[in-house]
Amino acid sequence: MSATLERTPTVASPRRDAPAKDSRKLVRSQVRAGWLLLAPALLHSGIFLVIPIIFAVALSFTDYSFGDSWSWVGFENYSVLFGDANFRAAFANTVLYAVVVIPVSMAVSLAIALGLNQKIRGLGFFRTAFYVPTVTATVAIATIWLWIYNPGSGLANGFLSLFGFAPNQWLSNPDTALPSLMVVGIWQGLGTKIIIYLAALQGVSRDLQESAALDGASRWQRFANVTWPALGPVQFFVLVTSIVGTFQVFDLVYVMTDGGPGTETMVLVLDIYQNAFQDLRLGFASAETVILMLLIAVFIGLGRLLQKADVND
Amino acid sequence: MRRGARSGVVVLAAVLGLAASSCGNGVIDKSTDGVPPAEATGTLRVLIPSFPPSNKGREEFDKVVEDFKKTYPKMKVEPDFATYGNLNEKISTSIAAGIPYDVMVTGVGWVQTFASKRLFADLGPYGVTPEVIQDKSIGAMVPAATYDGKLYAYPIVADARAVALRVSAFKEAGLDPDRPPKNMTELKAAAEKLTKRDANGTITRSGFDLAAPTSFRQTYTTLLASTGTPLYLDGQPNYSNAKGVETLEWIKSMINNVQVYGQRNAAQQPLVYTGEAAMGITGGAVDCSDKGIGQANCDDLRFFRFDSGKEVQFVGGDLASIGSRARHKDAGWAFIQSLTKPSSVDAIAKLNKKIPAYKDAANSPQAKSNPLSKFVASGLELAIYEGGSANWLEMRGNFDTQLTQAVLGQKDPAKTLANLSGQSR
Repeated sequence: MSATLERTPTVASPRRDAPAKDSRKLVRSQVRAGWLLLAPALLHSGIFLVIPIIFAVALSFTDYSFGDSWSWVGFENYSVLFGDANFRAAFANTVLYAVVVIPVSMAVSLAIALGLNQKIRGLGFFRTAFYVPTVTATVAIATIWLWIYNPGSGLANGFLSLFGFAPNQWLSNPDTALPSLMVVGIWQGLGTKIIIYLAALQGVSRDLQESAALDGASRWQRFANVTWPALGPVQFFVLVTSIVGTFQVFDLVYVMTDGGPGTETMVLVLDIYQNAFQDLRLGFASAETVILMLLIAVFIGLGRLLQKADVND
Repeated sequence: MRRGARSGVVVLAAVLGLAASSCGNGVIDKSTDGVPPAEATGTLRVLIPSFPPSNKGREEFDKVVEDFKKTYPKMKVEPDFATYGNLNEKISTSIAAGIPYDVMVTGVGWVQTFASKRLFADLGPYGVTPEVIQDKSIGAMVPAATYDGKLYAYPIVADARAVALRVSAFKEAGLDPDRPPKNMTELKAAAEKLTKRDANGTITRSGFDLAAPTSFRQTYTTLLASTGTPLYLDGQPNYSNAKGVETLEWIKSMINNVQVYGQRNAAQQPLVYTGEAAMGITGGAVDCSDKGIGQANCDDLRFFRFDSGKEVQFVGGDLASIGSRARHKDAGWAFIQSLTKPSSVDAIAKLNKKIPAYKDAANSPQAKSNPLSKFVASGLELAIYEGGSANWLEMRGNFDTQLTQAVLGQKDPAKTLANLSGQSR
């Protein structure tokens, strides 16, 4: 046996050698094809992600402000950042916005998707109606909601007046400005999540559902033990995209409140934008960008941990 | 595999190189400085918020270009009709992209900051000094266009503010419209009398419109200056003091007392024009025709200035500068000369409801066209402007935010002003 093994390479006949060569050739051509197919994505990522990230990190250690001169300042931008009241407010508001908007929009989307997964009349209409906000420009949405929240003639105060409530300055009142934006954020994000959940729900095994029903499981038990576990990977996908989306909220706030009153609705991306392009503090804004990247990474990491815990359960 | 990876890297490098070269070349001209104007070729890039995006605006801009081409016939002019809202974005991205503008028209608060960053060129080599502007233009705008003793911007138009009252509202409240309140104490007392509320206590007519519903920076600057305390004195912050705190406390006492925070109308016009406020801060022009607020409304208005010891009038404006990295500085100066000819300035003033920044502004067509412009044109020598520190542009957004927080009771006014003073450089 051992002799045979030792001899094999030296006495390999051309007939035996050919398939090995062919297979290596095949592997090489597959690798080449792989790189070729990856090239556009790599190129895109290189130019639009990796290079800007490297620049942002490098700039965060400088005092660059579009002028003729700049210098390295080490971690000064970071230390100033943590003492900056605007940044602290933006950080807290962004986390609060995400912590409220993500779970609420996921829960509402799932509930609506469950409803749209039933055989009801006008299904096509409802599916379209819930998706419309997603394909509508945020500026248009913000303009409509500005009218809804208008203290004088808006729908929100008009509706509340039916129940005898006094008119509220929704976006000017420090207590209601951020919650008002959260409502719009939740509403705007429903469409995409509903579509994803709907697709996932249609992939849940009907056999398992029927078996559970035959075993006498209630609707809730079927949801908790069959539907919910089947949605695991989709939940994670929705969570990650929601985290990225909510942490990067900008246009909605920019159009509706511009971060005010005071800093009540200031969020990180708006603060970065203002620091970089209005106050011309690009080095400082880059440090803030790095913090935002880390924050998103931490939240995605937490999401992964939660998902793992859910799977292990 | 190695060969595959190698060829992949080569392709990647080639594409990156191509992308980099296409970004860096092709859009930047060779400098025409020193070239005889008749032979100079290239594109003059102009950033200008002074012409609105209407047919009339474009038409007036084309007239300036036509005049410029009499000197530089072979040069093209590429305008970027920005707004004051996106001016900084345009400038910063042009610098980042390596294609700076040759001529930049900015506001009063911009010049010193950009001069200190060496983004604007000194106009001295073209024979324009602070003394020349003092002679030819509005003297009060000279400090705003000057940095380190040199002139960096040429005033085009002035954007002035006044205060207006409604005669009918004054009479109704038993106040004398011919003796308008001027200092902060009188203004508050009158505003409280003029404020109307419904049965629930909700304000239905403001007693005084602070004009910028969520931004108190310019109002604060004006009121503070009216006490004889300029915002900056010799480049040093001058607001973290008793007068500064008193002024901020006054604004705080007015908000949600005589005017609801954030109040504005759909047209974003001063509320006093429409009767939604009995008194308030206005712009620099009012259209008394039927297309505007109408003659009856106009006749009901009286104009005055803040005076808590010193009569002042807030003035901003449009000023033209040459970029320090411009490829066509000489052509840029020729363009500014065309832009600041009286006919161009009159057109810009009319389009933007501002006052021409030439010496005899009180006799300009714009000043004669409506009573408010006539009033503000007569007070240009009382002008005060915002800013005064090299980093004003960097901190004015934060200035607004912090003033708002103090006005809304979220921060202590004295601490707010001390904090802002510490941020000034």
